[in-house]
Amino acid sequence: MALQMLITSLAMGIVYGMVAMGMVLIWRAVGVINFAQGEFLMVGAFVSYTLAEQLGIPMSIALVACAVIMGIVGVIFHFITYWPLRKSWDITVIISTIGASIALKEAATLIWGPAPLSIDPLVDGVARFSTVSIEWQFIVTIGVSAVLMAGIFYLLERTYLGHILQATAQDQYAAALIGIPVVVATGMTFAISALIAGVGGMLLAPVFFVTSTMGGITGLKAFAAVVIGGFGSVQGAIIGGLIVGMVDTFSGAYVSSTYRDAIVFMFLVVVLVIRPQGIFGEKIAEKV
Amino acid sequence: MVLDKLCKRFGGVVAADEVSFSLVPGKVHGLIGPNGSGKTTLLNLISGVTDMDAGSITLDGEIVTNLPNYTRARRGVARTFQHPRLLRRCDIQANLFLGIDLANRKKRLPGHSAPKLEELLEAAALQFDLDDSITTLSYGQQKLFEIVRALLTNPKVLLLDEPAAGLNTKEMERVDALIAIAVKNNAAVLLVEHSMDLIMNICDTITVLNFGRKIAEGVPAEIQSNDAVIEAYLGRGRSA
Amino acid sequence: MITKNKSTRIILLIVALALAALLPYATSNYMLRVLNMMFINYICVLSMFVIFGMTGQMSFAQAGYWGLGAYITAILTTKFHVAPLLALVGSALGTAVFVLLVGLALFRLHGHYFGFASIGVVMTMNGIFQNWTPVTGGANGMGNIPQFGIGGWECNSDMSYFYLLLFVVVAISLITELIHRSSLGRSFMAIRDNEIAAKCMGVNSYFTKNVAYVISGIYCGIAGSLFAFLSSYISATSFIFPQSVMYLVMLMLGGYNSIAGPIIGTTLLALLPEWFRPLQEYILLVYGLGVILLMVVMPDGLIGGGKKIYEHICKRSGGGTGKNQTSNGVG
Repeated sequence: MALQMLITSLAMGIVYGMVAMGMVLIWRAVGVINFAQGEFLMVGAFVSYTLAEQLGIPMSIALVACAVIMGIVGVIFHFITYWPLRKSWDITVIISTIGASIALKEAATLIWGPAPLSIDPLVDGVARFSTVSIEWQFIVTIGVSAVLMAGIFYLLERTYLGHILQATAQDQYAAALIGIPVVVATGMTFAISALIAGVGGMLLAPVFFVTSTMGGITGLKAFAAVVIGGFGSVQGAIIGGLIVGMVDTFSGAYVSSTYRDAIVFMFLVVVLVIRPQGIFGEKIAEKV
Repeated sequence: MVLDKLCKRFGGVVAADEVSFSLVPGKVHGLIGPNGSGKTTLLNLISGVTDMDAGSITLDGEIVTNLPNYTRARRGVARTFQHPRLLRRCDIQANLFLGIDLANRKKRLPGHSAPKLEELLEAAALQFDLDDSITTLSYGQQKLFEIVRALLTNPKVLLLDEPAAGLNTKEMERVDALIAIAVKNNAAVLLVEHSMDLIMNICDTITVLNFGRKIAEGVPAEIQSNDAVIEAYLGRGRSA
Repeated sequence: MITKNKSTRIILLIVALALAALLPYATSNYMLRVLNMMFINYICVLSMFVIFGMTGQMSFAQAGYWGLGAYITAILTTKFHVAPLLALVGSALGTAVFVLLVGLALFRLHGHYFGFASIGVVMTMNGIFQNWTPVTGGANGMGNIPQFGIGGWECNSDMSYFYLLLFVVVAISLITELIHRSSLGRSFMAIRDNEIAAKCMGVNSYFTKNVAYVISGIYCGIAGSLFAFLSSYISATSFIFPQSVMYLVMLMLGGYNSIAGPIIGTTLLALLPEWFRPLQEYILLVYGLGVILLMVVMPDGLIGGGKKIYEHICKRSGGGTGKNQTSNGVG
């Protein structure tokens, strides 16, 4: 029972981690919190519904197609909500992403209708390990997510493209001076963020019903994960996601299922009060 | 004001290494040194923006070392910044009143009368509409404005961080005029500057810093001929 | 703004008030209810104006404080049969104390971190509202809240609530404007624009932020209490994070730097959905896209953007010499 819960919380946590990772990538690149990050997950779930249920595309291909589509969504999002505001007060960008999250939610309701949709799991059935049975879907979720995140790490740390992204994230002005096309770098960052959140949505879609509101609370919990893990740290976001997943699942089961959301956010406030920089974050000083 | 062995490190960098000197009311004390010698850090330590690692600061006989910076401001420590720190979304009136509010908050000090706004504006040659946004002032005007704001608070100690940087000659004369008003009102002025004209002309005494250490102190004439100072700025000459 | 003449401004204000007072006779009951809700939202937007517009501290928790005010009044009136006016005061004080505690804990955080914590606060508060059934009624909410009244007089119609709310709104607006022009208001704005300069000018920023927050909390508490009286029934579904966002949008729409901003922003966002009734389905989509557009085109809000356009026109027709030049020669 506890092992099952552990796997479930790991699966939830790793998806929170992916959404959080996307948020951190955007934060590091452009210094803004993307409040529509949860909606990327939601859109990914809906897109996967269309691909898998409506168009009947086999799951593995749908996964790749979903990723590509979400990447494109990310780029479009970047040009509408961030690019025109790239030189403005950062609160305006934050509000802009909040507006985008509302618009995305409504667009999804208008396109797919208000009723919750269900989608078949990527892999059916249950795996049995001696006395314990775990649904394959959770294992697949963990596996696919881990591979995807590892892939992104590799991209960022080992490839030329990744170095461009990191350089732009550290100093946009300097990057532009040495010839890096900033718009490409920031656009790609949003694309990757949308992609991983969207794939996360696709992975979670069979577990929950697909609704236009599924992004809201998930996005906020991912946001909590980013803060707990430490702002600006990609590893922190992932660890934070896993922690939030565990707090969420275990407090839901052992403390109170009604208060589980409140507990996650209370945990966030406590972490902020005790250690504002989170687990891996660094304190930033202001130059006088 | 007496500064006694102020020390500050940032990680491996020693910004202040047992720096000591005094500021006397009505006198202008210059602080010079090559870039990175710790001048701005010292101003931050005195005004309370940065915490000290060691040392003590006394104002009028009272130790102010552990007081937060807003309390020091209320006790009469005023400063300007290298890049003017004005309230950019407020109009000029609000920016001015920020200084007047502080003057009103402090108890009446005998022997100190607040400089009049008209006098200050004339010395700074600033004209404006109170309702205008502060951003309508040019860079030089903003720097002068910041000095005016500091003087409005009727300070005991006035810390100026490179007030002449980025100003043209006419504007530098205005800085001179404003400092003269401060002196007339018995403030102790600490002037950090790179402009040697300004320093040598108006300072009564000068301290020279290099790598956080005080390497010389004295009247302008002594400083100009001091070997250590010349070496710090120009390097050692090559032997023939 | 429109005119700098002080007496003209006062006359305009009185005329506007007179028109407002006559409004109930010219509109339907339905419209009155819309306006009443608009007044309640306006008070919360003013709260956002105080803590964010003036002091620059982003707090997403205002909807939670609004809810707290509502629940305190609901509990005091339905379980302890306290008189409505006392319940109103109780809400204001209770919310003030709670907000003070939150502020004391959280204002040690700088920059965005305070905003993040405020998200945690509102989500936690909502969780408690939704689930603490013995006290808040949980998912069923709380009903049977009596009407507001003082002594013998009681509010028993939409029209009477209109006048009550109009009075409260005018009073709070005046108080807010007084704060805005005082040294306290300046210290708020100094913290917003340049906290280090503020501290060097004698402003105790931690203490002052808490003062601003408590004031904003009192506004929300009052708004919540009045909301409880107005609706007679409250439920936790109203007191959510998106509600705080709406207050923020109303503030940014009108303009965050003056009190005219909240007035315009709240009015527009309350009335626009009514005018766009036929497009009801799309209204939230338009809202979301509109918010993005607003930030791109007019981040200073309608007031700020309006000012810029006005100045631009003045420059064009006034021509030539600017007034802000240092004088040469004499002086």
